[in-house]
This record gives sequence, structure tokens and C-alpha cells, in this order.
Amino acid sequence: MHLRQEFWRMAWLISAVLVVALPHFQYVAPWVAVLVIAIAVWRLAAAERGWPMPRTALRVTAVFLGYSGIMWSYHRVSGVEAGSALLLVMLAFKLMETRSRRDRALVAIICFVLMFATFLREQTIWSPAYLLVGITLSVCALMQVGRFQTRMPVMVAGKTTLKLVVQALPLMAMLFVLFPRVPGPFWAMPVDSGTAQTGLGDSVSPGDITELGRSDAIAFRVRFDGTVPEPAERYWRGPVFGYFNGRSWSGRIPGPGPEDTSVLRKDGSSYSYEITMEPHGRRWLLALETPLSWDQKDASYGPDWQLISRKPVGERFAYRARSVVNGTIPGNDSQRYLQAMRHLPANVNPRTRMLARQLRGSSRDDVTYLRSVLNMFREQEFYYTLTPPRLDDSPVDEFLFETREGFCEHYASAFATLARAAGIPSRVVTGYLGAERNPVGDYWVVRQSDAHAWTEVWIDGDWRRYDPTAAVSPARIEGGLDFAIPDAGRSPVTLLRRSALFGQLALNMDAVNAAWDRWVLSFGPDTQMALLARLGISKPSMRDLMIATLISCGLFLAALSWMLTRRQPEHVDAVLRLYRLYCRRLARSFRVPLHSEGPTDYASAAVAARPDLGSDIHSITNLYLQLRYEITGKTDDPRLLAELRRRIRAFRP
Amino acid sequence: MTARRWPWQTWSASLATRSREWALKRQGSDKHGTELHARRIYILPTRIGFVYATVVLVLLLGSMNYSNNMGFALTFLLTGIGIVCMHHCQRNLSGLRVNFLDSESDFAGQHVSFRLQLDNPGKQTRWQLRTGWDRLDGQFADLHEARCTTIGLSLKAARRGRLPMPRVAITSDFPLGLFRAWSWIHMDSSAIVWPAPSDQADAPPVTGTDDVSGHSIVDGGDELSGVREYRASDSPRRIDWKALARYGELLVREFRDGSCSECWLDWDALEQGDAEQRLSILTRLALDANANDRTFGLKLPDCTVAPGSGETHLNECLNRLALFGHVDADVAEEPG
Repeated sequence: MHLRQEFWRMAWLISAVLVVALPHFQYVAPWVAVLVIAIAVWRLAAAERGWPMPRTALRVTAVFLGYSGIMWSYHRVSGVEAGSALLLVMLAFKLMETRSRRDRALVAIICFVLMFATFLREQTIWSPAYLLVGITLSVCALMQVGRFQTRMPVMVAGKTTLKLVVQALPLMAMLFVLFPRVPGPFWAMPVDSGTAQTGLGDSVSPGDITELGRSDAIAFRVRFDGTVPEPAERYWRGPVFGYFNGRSWSGRIPGPGPEDTSVLRKDGSSYSYEITMEPHGRRWLLALETPLSWDQKDASYGPDWQLISRKPVGERFAYRARSVVNGTIPGNDSQRYLQAMRHLPANVNPRTRMLARQLRGSSRDDVTYLRSVLNMFREQEFYYTLTPPRLDDSPVDEFLFETREGFCEHYASAFATLARAAGIPSRVVTGYLGAERNPVGDYWVVRQSDAHAWTEVWIDGDWRRYDPTAAVSPARIEGGLDFAIPDAGRSPVTLLRRSALFGQLALNMDAVNAAWDRWVLSFGPDTQMALLARLGISKPSMRDLMIATLISCGLFLAALSWMLTRRQPEHVDAVLRLYRLYCRRLARSFRVPLHSEGPTDYASAAVAARPDLGSDIHSITNLYLQLRYEITGKTDDPRLLAELRRRIRAFRP
Repeated sequence: MTARRWPWQTWSASLATRSREWALKRQGSDKHGTELHARRIYILPTRIGFVYATVVLVLLLGSMNYSNNMGFALTFLLTGIGIVCMHHCQRNLSGLRVNFLDSESDFAGQHVSFRLQLDNPGKQTRWQLRTGWDRLDGQFADLHEARCTTIGLSLKAARRGRLPMPRVAITSDFPLGLFRAWSWIHMDSSAIVWPAPSDQADAPPVTGTDDVSGHSIVDGGDELSGVREYRASDSPRRIDWKALARYGELLVREFRDGSCSECWLDWDALEQGDAEQRLSILTRLALDANANDRTFGLKLPDCTVAPGSGETHLNECLNRLALFGHVDADVAEEPG
């Protein structure tokens, strides 16, 4: 019997451990996952069979080996990855010594920390469901380890735990909204490789890429106020690369941007919109071509008029901006910079230079020359593909004269090189092109697969946008990547996404996801203030928020406490009330009835102890039995009731 | 060699005494039964509770640092669960009824036991109720909706007399063991501790022939009336050793005073020993007389019990002996 309960207690605990450990298994070193599962299974078997726990020496050795293993696999014990692996290993070893109640409670509490580590890695729309399941199991385990002799039925245990969790939910919601949010971080936070996913890189070197990864991950979501830009206007401008070494393009170090905003040309179509940015661990924010204004204090112009954040974007957040799209970027750059934008390394790409000289010689001016280059791309056999061949020493030469297959970066790089070869300053710009509308949530999604590269060329004192990819594959500009390549080259996920039914489902799902991101995951100090302002509390201080938190939680708890301790009305009829009065009076000189004692047994016990009360006790008990049970058919006789009342009132031993 | 006492042990002991007095003064006596209402239920976090709170605080700092909203959700949910758990812990006791049932007398040096009835009038089950003399030990019980249970608590009785029931703690750390709620119950009840029966089997036969009634007394007259099987309460002096050697049976010689069927256990007939020793010897004699199914009376300086026999008579005699010299010697009023 004792083993049985031990088994059940451990079963609760181990299922909680496994559920919180499960999401970690895909990240940690495989041996950690194997170790955790092996120890959990062994512990469960040990609980069932009553096997002894390992000796202290063995456990200490195991802990030492586990620690060394983590050091060997991760070379450190700090950080989310190594930290959660270490936590898992230590939790597994803790299971080997869980004898006392405190050890077990500790295991359940460590489970909470492991769940936290999971959320540091990923926060999806499923996270709340996972949170509830994990918490319920761990809390249930915490409750079960406190059980002493008898096992609590599974259903009762589950119900009791759920009640706790459900009653805690309003408190959680109140704290979530009202608890003062401080902009973090307090200490350096390790940027995981997982959060720095992006389609945009630190440099552009087309020759090195033989297969462009097409990630369907979302880069950001946009909500336009009013007019939506035409497909060919949806240029989200990101990092600009002006320094070319013949093979790859690199950008300038993001410094303070231009201060003289009077050079901004405000003609053209202007759009205002709100972007919810996914974290990417870099500093640039994205905006439609030339941003004019925005609502983020931390954002400013970068050196090339892009929007740049003061800190790396480590969390999802939203900002509003207004942009103008007219194909030009103001050019107030220094002569030195322009000189660098004309530079081409010597001895590289000689055939390209020759071609440039030829074409420039036959053109009237720079603009005509550039147009003839575009015509070359359009009319000759150039192909758009995501799997271009590898390019060697003179990548632009090889691309232009041999392979003629590439994607946006190849064309942008070749075009900028050709412009430079003709003495025109030019640079490569990366960002995103396009947006896909989600009709369910009425917003637009820009994915990592929308990443794009184009060029900007110095014409008449401005940077003009030229997109050579448009010349090769107009569909890429109008319809996005999905339309630019034949079906055979598409990933199955993309094909699935484009099928009607699944497409609708995916759109719905993404709308939910977007709402989730917008209202929950990107909830921070700013959103909190905005929400409170909408509720009529404008600019509360931290003290006000603290007080509001305390008051609202206090009110909830008072209500809960009232609900919990409220006396359940008990149905007591006159007969029972009288009988209870009699019991209370008899208890003064005898005792209350035992729970195993019916009225008759109680009466005989009382008479044995107090023979002097015998006649009263007998007559009262007799009357009570007649009124209570169908002995004489007089259960509702008012005279009997009156008699009982009279006798009990007179009964004062 | 006594264990070394650290200063804080002294402090905590004195704090415990103070709180004990404070609780008694605050609540007053509970007579023979009470209902635990909210004002007399005390609650404090346990050690596990402090660990839990620390972890929640660390998670809060972590969530702030990483601006992780699911982390905040986790932290706040755990905070909520902790607070709700406190209310449930308190409610687990609140409204519980505790009644004194009876006490079981025994001899000094033995364990007397007090029986309590826990009565759950409410609709919810009360889990993991621990009833004991102290908060940290005692007997566990689960009490389902509208059920009662009986708890017997035993206590070693040092000396004869009336042993007042110490205060009882009803404790519970349900549901999560993060908080411990308890209530002190000060019952007006007591148990009677009989004098320890003397093991002086060779106590001199006390005669009471000079007694008013003119009957003679006590353990073993001089006339052997026969043998019977050994009973636990028999004096070893009366074992028929020859029979044991011869037949291998444990038999006891029975003596009967031929002249009368009644005898008197008389305080004055005992010449040796102080009061306690005499009471002890009289207890032994009364037990032996009862074991031999004899009719006996008891004479003490302050009272007399008419001769009689049977368990009730024996109990009354033992109670008289137990309460000899006590002010409230009126045994009849004793409940149970």
C-alpha cells in the first residue's frame, strides 16, 4: 500500500518534469535528453518496486560528471542554452535523491524555472496553453508530494489544482496589465542564434550563395492607415552597402544620421502605417523608402536615411511611421563618400569594365546608359533563379558573360558595378520588397522570403532607386518571390500556403498570431501606458501603478475570500434543529454523539452514564425517532413536534 | 551532558511561551467544543513557501530583464497561485468543529488518551488535517463533506490526579505546502490519572478487623479456597509454583477469608509509607480484589466507598484514589 502511494506521488512529479523538459529536448545536447528520460524512467520503476536510492558517493560523482558534461558540450554554464541544459541535468539527479518532502517540492519548483527557460527561447501562440498545462501538472505534483498516507483520487487532485489555477488567472491578468513595466534589460543579455534570424545580412556577396534559403518566417507585419502602396512601391529599405571589394559589398558602420532634413523631397505618394517588428537582434528598423516621421523615441535616421534603433531589436515591438515613396533618397553626402561609391578594385571584373566603357560611349548621358544596361538584362538571356551556380574570382564578369543566372543580389551587384565602371556613384541596398495581405486581420505580412536587394545610383545630386531584378523578372516585383520562380522550384510549404483551403486556414491562424503578438507579446512599457490611457488613466507614475495593482488585487482577494469562506446554507428542519439543541445540552453533562452513533445508541450510552436523566432522554429520543423515521406514520404530526419542543426546552441537565 | 543551546533557541522558546499565553488570553477557553472561525486561525509561510517566493522573485527579475511577456505571465500566474493557495490553506480549517469526546484514564506512568471529534459541517473536503499537541506532529486525517472523525491523542501521565488536557493544535498545509495554517484549542477537559499500582507484591496484608462494620479485609485471607488460571493482574506471589513445576500450567492460588465475602481496603490499616505509597498500595489491592471477583470497599481519610464489585465500582475506587487530597474530588461530575 505504501509503495503504491509512493509510486503515484512520483508519477505526478515525473510527468511534470517530463512535460516541462520536453520543449528543451530539441535544443539541448542529445545526451542530456537521454539522461533525463533514463533517470525519470528508472525513478518511476524504483518507486514501484521499492528499489533503494543510490549512495551519496555515487550521486556526488554523478553530479560532478553531469557538470563536466555540460562544460564539455557547451564550454560554459551560463546563458540560456547551457543554463537550461545544466538545470535539466541537475533536476534529473535531484530525482535520484527525492526522499524527503522538501526535495520533491524543490523538484516541482525547479520545473517552474525550466518553463521560464522555454519561454526565453520561443513565445508562440501555443505558449499560454503550454503554460497552463505545465503549471497545472507542476502544481499538482507540488500538492501530491505533501500527501501523507492516502492517495488523493486523480480526478479530485486534478480538480483541486485546476481550481487553484483558475482562481489565480484573474490575479495574473491584473498583474500583467497593471504591474509597473520597466524597460529592460538590466544586464547584458545573450542574443541567441534563434532570435537573430533574418533574411538580411551584414554584407552582400552573391557569388558565395548557391542556394538562397527561403524562410517563411515573418519579418514584420504592417497595418496601413488609408491608402496602401502599389506592389511596385513596397520597398522596405534596410541596410545600405557601398563598399565593394570586387566580390562582396559591405556597409558603413551605423553612426548618427544626417541632421539637415530640409533636403528631404516630400513629393510623391506618402503613406502612414504601423509596423510590428519581429526581433532580429540588429539595430535597423524597416520603413517604406524614405521615412519622414515616426513615434519611437529610440529611433533615428541612420547614415543613409534609413530608420535605425538605438538598441538592438531584441523583442517584438510596434512603431508607427510615415514615409514618402518617390524613388529618390536625398543625397547630401560628402565628396569623399561619393568617391568611395565610384571605387572599383583594380584587376577584378575586367570584362565588365570593358562592357561599361562600350555602352557608356554609345549613350548620351548617365540615365540613358543605365537604361541601356537594364535593356541588356531584359533583352538578353538572363534568368532569375534561387539556385545560381557558384562564382569564382571575378564574380561579376562570370555572372554577366557566362552563367547569367542569379537572384536579386546578383543583378543589384552587377548593375552597381556597371554604374561604377562608368564613373557613376552607386550602391547596393537591401531590405524587403512586397507584402502579403491577410484579409482576416486586415494587415500585411512581410516574410523573410521577401528580402530583396536593389541599387541606388547618384543622378543629379540624389540617389535614384534602380531595381535591375525588375528588368529580368517583373513578376518578382509585382507578385513576390512565389510568382517569380516556376512551381518546380518552390518549397512544399509555399505550395501548401498557396492552396485555397490551407491558405485560408493559414491566413486565419496568422491573424490570430498577429493579434497575439500585438496585444500580448509586444506588451511593454509603451503599450501599457497606451492601454491605460485608453482606460482613462493618463501617464500614471510607477507609484500610482503599484497602488492600482495592490488595490485591484486586494479587491479580488477579498471577493475570493468571501466566496471561499461563505457558509454554505445547510438545510435544517425544525426537528433536526431541536435534536441538535438537545445534543448540545446533553453534551454539557455527557458528550456529543459519536459519528458512528445513531440516536438510539447515543441515548443508551447517555443513560448508562447519567441514569438520573434516563426518563427524559428516552422520551426525547423516542419522539425524535417517531418524527424522523416512518415508524408510526406520524412524521408530520404537529402535536408530536410540539411535545418534542416542550420537552427539549425543559431539558436542562 | 546537555546539548548546547544557542541564544536564538532560548529566544524562540520564550517567544513560544509568550505566544502560547497570548493565544490563550486572546481566545479564552473552548469548554468542550468549538468551531474554528477565521479569527483564531493563524497562518505563516513554510520553508518551502519561502523557496517558492524566492524563485518567483528571481523569475520576475528575469522577465523584466528579457522583457519576456510569457515570463511575466508565468511569474504572475505563480504569484496568483501562491496567494490563492494561502486562502485555500486558511479555508481548509475555517469552520471546522472540534468537540471533546472523552478521555481514557490510566495509571500514572502510562499514556492517557483524549478523544476529539472533528466535524466538517461544510461541503468541501478538508484535506490533510493534522491534530496533535504540537504544530509539527500529530495524526493526519482527511475529512470529506459533512463527515466526522475521531482522533485519539495520548499523553504520558507523570503523576496521579486530574490531568488537564493540554492545548491541541489543528494544523494544515494543504494545498501546496507553501503555507501552514493552524489553530490552538484550549479544552477545559481533563483525564483522571490513577495512582501507579504498587509492584510490591509482598505488601503486608492489611487487616481491617477493627473496622466499624466488623468485617475483615484484604488481599488473601488465610484459607486456601482453590486454584484458577493466571490473569494478568495477579500477584506473582500467589502463583502456584509447585503446580507450575509439576503440571506446567500457570495457576494461581485463591484465598478466601472464610468469615466474610466483603473486605475493606483501609488507608489507616497501612502503617508504612507516605501518602503516595499508600495510595499506590491501595490501588494494587483494589486491582487484585477486582481480579479475584471480590466485593470490597474503600476507606480513605476523607471519604468512604461502600463495598461493591465490578468495573464501575473499581473505576470509582480508582478515581477516589486518584483524586485523594485534591479539592475537586467530586468524581461523579466528571464527564465520561
